[in-house]
Amino acid sequence: MQPDDQSSLHRRSGKRQEGQAGHFGRTALILTVVLYAAILILGPLVAIFWGAFSEGAARLIDELSTQQAFDALKLTLFLGLGATAINTVFGLCTAYILVRDRFAGRRFLNGVVDLPFAVSPVIAGLMLILLFGRGGWLEPLVNATGMKVVFAVPGMLLATCFVSLPFVIREVMPILQHVGTAHEEAAYIMGAGKWQAFWKVTLPSIRWGLVYGVVLTMARSLGEFGAVLVVSGGIVGLTETSTLFIFRTLDDRNVIAAYGMALVLAMVSFVLMLIVEFLKSRSSEFRGHNT
Amino acid sequence: MSVFGSLRRAGAQPRSAASWGSWGIRYSAIAYLFVMILLPLSAVFFEGFRHGIGPFVRSLSEPIALSALRLTLLFALITTLVNAVMGTMTAYVLVRFHFPGRRLFNAFVDLPFAIPTLVTGVMLVVLYGPQGLLGEWLESRGFAVVFAKPGILLALLMVTYPFVVRAVQPVLGGLRRDHEEAAWTIGATRVRTFFSVVLPEILPAIATGALLTFARALGEFGSVVVVAGNIAGRTLTAPVHVYGQIESENRLAASSMSVLLLALSFSLILTVDLLQKRKRTPHAAR
Amino acid sequence: MTPLRSATNCLTLIVIPLLALLGCCRQDTETGSPGRITLTLGAYTTPREAYGKAIIPAFQQFWKQKTGQDVEFQTSYQGSGAQSRAIISGFEADVAALSLAEDVEKIVEAGLITHDWKSGANRGIVSTSVVVVAVRSGNPLKIRDWTDLTRSGVEILSPDPRTSGGAMWNICAVYGAALRGKTGAQKDDRQAAAGFLEAVLRNVSVMDKGARESITNFEKGIGDVAVTYENEVLVGRKSGQRYDYVIPPSTILIENPAAVIDKYADKHGVQDAAKAFVDFLSTAEAQKAFAEHGLRPVHHEVAAELASRFPPVEDLWTIEYLGGWKQVMREIFSQNGVYSSVINRLHSSR
Repeated sequence: MQPDDQSSLHRRSGKRQEGQAGHFGRTALILTVVLYAAILILGPLVAIFWGAFSEGAARLIDELSTQQAFDALKLTLFLGLGATAINTVFGLCTAYILVRDRFAGRRFLNGVVDLPFAVSPVIAGLMLILLFGRGGWLEPLVNATGMKVVFAVPGMLLATCFVSLPFVIREVMPILQHVGTAHEEAAYIMGAGKWQAFWKVTLPSIRWGLVYGVVLTMARSLGEFGAVLVVSGGIVGLTETSTLFIFRTLDDRNVIAAYGMALVLAMVSFVLMLIVEFLKSRSSEFRGHNT
Repeated sequence: MSVFGSLRRAGAQPRSAASWGSWGIRYSAIAYLFVMILLPLSAVFFEGFRHGIGPFVRSLSEPIALSALRLTLLFALITTLVNAVMGTMTAYVLVRFHFPGRRLFNAFVDLPFAIPTLVTGVMLVVLYGPQGLLGEWLESRGFAVVFAKPGILLALLMVTYPFVVRAVQPVLGGLRRDHEEAAWTIGATRVRTFFSVVLPEILPAIATGALLTFARALGEFGSVVVVAGNIAGRTLTAPVHVYGQIESENRLAASSMSVLLLALSFSLILTVDLLQKRKRTPHAAR
Repeated sequence: MTPLRSATNCLTLIVIPLLALLGCCRQDTETGSPGRITLTLGAYTTPREAYGKAIIPAFQQFWKQKTGQDVEFQTSYQGSGAQSRAIISGFEADVAALSLAEDVEKIVEAGLITHDWKSGANRGIVSTSVVVVAVRSGNPLKIRDWTDLTRSGVEILSPDPRTSGGAMWNICAVYGAALRGKTGAQKDDRQAAAGFLEAVLRNVSVMDKGARESITNFEKGIGDVAVTYENEVLVGRKSGQRYDYVIPPSTILIENPAAVIDKYADKHGVQDAAKAFVDFLSTAEAQKAFAEHGLRPVHHEVAAELASRFPPVEDLWTIEYLGGWKQVMREIFSQNGVYSSVINRLHSSR
C-alpha cells in the first residue's frame, strides 16, 4: 500500500496552522513507534551480539565448533526438515480437501487445524508423554514396534510437527479458494489426468503461498523449545537440539557457547524473515487474510 | 452445460468434487489431523478429568495454581493492552507515513515471529541480567528486570509484538480515504479524524490482533522460563507451573491446568475465526 | 484416475519419507557391534564435570583394557527428581546416578531396578557432600548460621524441590537443624521447626529447576546467598567464579546413590558394563575424581587423604535423623507435608 501523508484535499481545506503541528505530531508518532521497536527488539539483538563476542571471536568459534554443537545443529536441522516435509505433504492434502471437497465434519476439521496455535508448547510435550510414555494410550504400540518415542528423536519430531502444523494449510487454503477450479477444469477437458492437473496447474498457482507456508513452518520448527524440552531426555549429542543446547550450556557456565548458539539461531531466523518478506511481496496479490 | 455433457460422454475425466477428494487423500488428511491434533489433545483432557470433576477443580484451586493462573492472565492482559495501542500506532505509521527506512522497519516487524522464544529469553538476560549490558546499570539503581515482573512483561511484549501490527496493517491500507478527507474538509483535526473515522473501521482488526496476542501470551513458555524467577505469587506463570508439574510427575495437576489454558485459548481462537469470517462474508461471492 | 491409484500415490508420498525417517531413528535402539557398546547414564546436575571430564574417560580406558570393548557414553544431566521421573516415564538409562536415595527408590518401585542396589559396602552411595550457604566475596552480610538467613532483606536462592534433589536436601538441612535445636527453636518442636523453615523460605526469591541453575544464577549476580551443595560451590570456584561459602554448624550429609537400571541394561544387553561402571564409582580412582570436583569421597582411604580439602562439620547428621527418606517424603514433601503447608502459607501472605 502506497503510504500517503499529504492529501491535496487536506491542503485545500485551509488549515495552515495544522501544517506545523501536524508535522511535529507525525514525527513524534514515528519516533515513538520506532523507539518502542528498537528497545523491544533491536536492543536484545544487539545484546546477544555483544554477549556472544564478549570473549573474542576465536573463543566463540571454538565453542561452536565442538561435536556437541554440531550434533545439536544437525538434530535441529533434521527436525526442521522432517517436520516441514511431513507438514507440507499432509498440509497440501488437508488444504485441498478442506477447500475442494465436501464431506461430513469438514467445518469441524477446519477449526481443528488452528488448534496448535492455541496450545502452549509445554502442553504439546505433555500430550505426547501422556500418549507414548509409561501408562500411555499408545504404549502398547511403542512396545510392539520397539521404537522409542518419548525421550528419543521420534517424539521430538512429532512435537515439532505439531507446533508447526497449521502454517502450510493456512497459507495455501485461501489461495486455493481464490484461484478456483476453472483452470483445473480446463485441464481435464483437455485430457489431463488428476496428478498432471495438480502438478502442472494447481501447484503453480499456489506456489508462492505454499513456499511462504513452508518457510514459516521451517522457522517455527527450528526454534521449537518447550515441547522438545519436555519430550527429549536431554541426552547430549543425541536428543539435544540447538535450543536445548543453549539451555544446557547456560547451566554448564559456558555462556559463550549459549550466547553463540543463540546468535546463530537469531541470525538464521533473521534470514528466514527476509525470505518471508520477499515472498510476501511476491504473493501479496493472492493473500487476502491476516496473520 | 451441454458441451461438458458431450465431452463427458466422449470419455473426458469426470469432474466432481467427490472424486477429487478421493478417499486416499481425504482419509490421509483426516487421519493426519486426528493423530497429530485430536488424539493428543483428548489425552490431556482425559487425564485432567480422569478422577472426576472434583479432583480437577481441587487441583486448580491449589493456591500456587491459582496464583500462577492469576499472574498469567494479568500479564497477558497488560501485554495485550500495551501491544494493542503500540501495534495500532505502528501499523498507522507504516501505512500512512513515508520515512527513510520504512521498508526495513516493515520487514523488521516480523522478526519476533521467526526468533525462537528461548533465544528471546536469553537475549533479555544478556541485556537486562545483573551483569548485562543495561542490567548492571539498572541493578545499581535498584531496578530488577530479570527474575522479576518487568522481565516477564518484556518477554511477552516482544514475542507478541507483530500480531496487532500485522492484523491492522492490511485493513488500514485498504481503507477508503474519502471519509477521512471529508472529515478534514469540515475542519476536524487529524487526531479527531483518527478517533472518530479511522478507529471504528479498524477496531475489528485490532480486536483480532489483540485476541491473538492474548492467546499467545497465555501460553508463552520459552522466553518466560529463562527470564522469570519461578516464585509462586510473584513470577510463576501458568505454563511454567505446568512444566514444573510435568517434571514432578504430577499428571493431574499438569493436565488440569493445561485443560484450563487450552479452553481459554481455544475460545479466543474461535472468536478470532468468527470475527474473520464475518469480515470475509462480503467477499464470499468470489 | 481411480481412487485406488490416488490412494497409492498418497501412500507412497507418506510411506517413503516415513521409512527414511524411521531409518534414521532406528539408530536409537541399536546396541552396536560387539566391539563397541553404548551405556546411557542419567545423572543429576551437580556431578556433571566429575563424570564428564574424569570418571567416564577413566572407565572407558579401564573397560577397554579389561575387555577390549569400546564403551561410548550417552549422558543426560537434569535435576535429580526430574531425571528419576524421566527414567520412570521411559527414558532408557542403563545407570542412574542421582542426588538422593529416594529418587532411586522410586525407580525401584516402578519395577525398573530388580536387584538390591543397597547391598554394597557403601549401601549404594558413591559420593557425599554437605549443604552449605554460598555468599558473596568477603561475606559482606556476615552470614554464619541458618538463623542469619531469616534476617529481613536477605535474598536467598534455593532450587525447587519438585524437580531438584538439591532443593530437598536444602529443606531437610534447614528443618533438621531447627529440630535439633541448633537454630534457637526448641529442640524436637515440629511447629517451631516449621516456623523456622517458613522464615527462611520467605527470603527465597528465585526457585530454579536444579542446583546447578541455582548456583549459576547466583554467580550472575542474582540474590545475596545461595543454599546449595558444597560441591557446586567448589566446582564453581574451580571454574573461576569468585565467592565464598559458609558451612553452618549443623547441617545434613548429602549422600548420592548410583544404581544399574536392570530393565534397560538387560534390554540393551549391557548389564556387565553397567554393573562394572557402578562398581567403578567406588574405586579409589573414581573417588579421587569425585574429590577433584568437590564431592566428598566415601572411600575411607581417599577421604582420609584429602581430609584437608573438606572442612569438618560441627554437627553433621544424615537423613536417618529425620526418619529416612520414606518418612521425609511423607512428612515433609507430600501434599499436606510441612513444606507444602509452609509454601502455601507464604504464598497467601504475598
